[in-house]
Amino acid sequence: MAILLQLLMSGIALGMIYAVIAFGYQSTFATSGTLNFGQGEALMLGALVGLSLAGTVSGGPYLNYWLMLPPVLLFGALQGVVVERIAVRPAIKTKSEFGWIMSTIALGIIFRNVAENIWGRDDLPFPSPLPTDPIHIFGASVLPMELLVVVGALVMMLGVEFFNRRTIYGKAVVATSTDRDAAGLMGINTSMVITFSYALSSMTAAFAGVLIAPVTLTGASMGAVLGLKAFAVAIIGGLNSGLGVVVGGILLGVAETTTGFYVSTGYKDVPGLILLLLVLSVKPSGLFGKTTIKKV
Amino acid sequence: MNNFTLRALVTGIALASLAATATAADPIKIGISGPYTGGSSPMGLSMRDGAKLAVAEINKAGGVLGRQLQMVERDDEAKNERGVQITQELINKEHVVATLGYANTGVALASTRFYQEAKIPVIDNIATGSAVTRQFLPPEFADNYVFRNAAFDGIQAQMIVEEAVTRRKFAKVAILADSTNYGELGKADLEKALAAKNVKAVAVEKFNIKDVDMTAQLLKAKEAGAQAILTYAIGPELAQIANGMKKLGWKVPMIGSWTLSMGNFIDNAGAESEGARMPQTFIQEPNTPKRKAFIEAYLHAYNPANGRIPSPVSAAQGYDSVYILAAAIKQAGNTEGPKIRAALENLSEKVDGVVTVYDHPFTHDNHEAITSNIPVIGEVKGGHVQYAYEEERKNPLRLEKH
Repeated sequence: MAILLQLLMSGIALGMIYAVIAFGYQSTFATSGTLNFGQGEALMLGALVGLSLAGTVSGGPYLNYWLMLPPVLLFGALQGVVVERIAVRPAIKTKSEFGWIMSTIALGIIFRNVAENIWGRDDLPFPSPLPTDPIHIFGASVLPMELLVVVGALVMMLGVEFFNRRTIYGKAVVATSTDRDAAGLMGINTSMVITFSYALSSMTAAFAGVLIAPVTLTGASMGAVLGLKAFAVAIIGGLNSGLGVVVGGILLGVAETTTGFYVSTGYKDVPGLILLLLVLSVKPSGLFGKTTIKKV
Repeated sequence: MNNFTLRALVTGIALASLAATATAADPIKIGISGPYTGGSSPMGLSMRDGAKLAVAEINKAGGVLGRQLQMVERDDEAKNERGVQITQELINKEHVVATLGYANTGVALASTRFYQEAKIPVIDNIATGSAVTRQFLPPEFADNYVFRNAAFDGIQAQMIVEEAVTRRKFAKVAILADSTNYGELGKADLEKALAAKNVKAVAVEKFNIKDVDMTAQLLKAKEAGAQAILTYAIGPELAQIANGMKKLGWKVPMIGSWTLSMGNFIDNAGAESEGARMPQTFIQEPNTPKRKAFIEAYLHAYNPANGRIPSPVSAAQGYDSVYILAAAIKQAGNTEGPKIRAALENLSEKVDGVVTVYDHPFTHDNHEAITSNIPVIGEVKGGHVQYAYEEERKNPLRLEKH
């Protein structure tokens, strides 16, 4: 029993890591119908900027972990604006269906190369703000930092949800996601809203980066695998459902740990991918996604 | 441009390149291929820097055959396809006389084929996969151009098992290996070495590069009652294993291949790396005059963080391999590949290296310079790799036994 609990808890912690990253895919998809395929790189940049501020790699530490968060979030937002301006806006303007895919991937590669030149390609340890000794719950162990990942992810999603529902700017975002053309006619500056959604998306990615860095390792290549898994999570959960990414993330995380233990560690990535294929063939909009009818 | 000038230009370029290869006073080009970036970079960089020291020393003393040695360094990024690209560049464009390098078994297996075809000797001085030197054995191939100055996995697996099962009397051991060529081949060698002692691993688990969660693998080992974990992986993932054990509140000794001495394992695992043991051909401990001089020269030239060579084994093997190659070129009297190979296989000069004194390190049928009695067991103590056994520290000179 303790083993199952341990697998579940580790799976949930892992799944929430995927979920926070997947959340970033959603916010841009909702407003503009585009995705930032450099999401993993946005996460990596956030983590490395955080490491420069709170760690010793750049002669620091300049700030402690908590004070480091605001500048990292600001950096993430600016990075998102850059991505939108350079890679996405031209594609939207020319109504290119796929241009943004190539350009966000290209930008992601550029970001990774820049990071390799600044921080090197080695994996670096990220100082943990919480004690590194595990807490024992019913015989299963969990790191305080893993709990912080779960709590941080939930707080962030609730924060964004609150913003969307309760503020006038949030309503503009919701209106743009519902019907971009109608929102434009109602006087909403939709291209501004799209820029904003990219800023928000990269900001959440940067936040996810500093949140998970103490439990994983930090380095220029940390985003690649995580970004891909998070993409699977976003598809499984549904690209327009906040609840979907949490459930999708946990499903994938728990599937990995339990398959690893009960079947074979050589096959641990398989059930998640099978789930992805199943979802795509049975319910392409995702487990919790709303089917959108495209009127032509 | 008309046809005539074009032809003249082409002829000119051809003549120029011909001239460049023919002049006697030209430097002797030696290719150095290794991963200078990524998770294997501590090995590649230390190897390159060690080789650089040796090249500088040899050049200062007048070079070889009156010619200076010149290193042509290329980063293979630990990627098989990149290694092949570099190999072709080194052979066809740079016209290297010989190549040293490879930290990754996969890259070495993919690249050495081209040297074999071009009849250019290549000394693998880090990658340990047993198959690396055995791809072109007689009788199928008349001559093998692939040599190694590193403790190959067969030796290491035996030492790991010896340490775990015989010396420390662990009856139940688990194997954790990564899913690369390195991990897979090492796992097979470990299982073979265990079988020779009539022991079967209680759990054999694998993981991918960049995996961030080792819970399932470690839980399986724990539930099977493992008393020690035998590892075959590289630095960052080894650190994830050590950190994962701490999370589960379970601590058993880690004994594994020599990569447990990598700086990126020790740094990323921090206090959890303490006590990890591994076979080492060289430990950063000045217990012979040659080693003292080498360590001082390395620290003086590169000033690594905490006064720790990122991968002392790679640095020492890289350094020694240049001297072995230089001795072979001297004996061959010229820079033709087959002549150098023949000289390597019957080296009359004793090469006084950092790892050992190389006395006829290779023969026609044996291309492994490091024999099973040379490596010692190292242990991570206070963030540094040190001798695990005092008697091994006191008997530093371990000669090759063929």
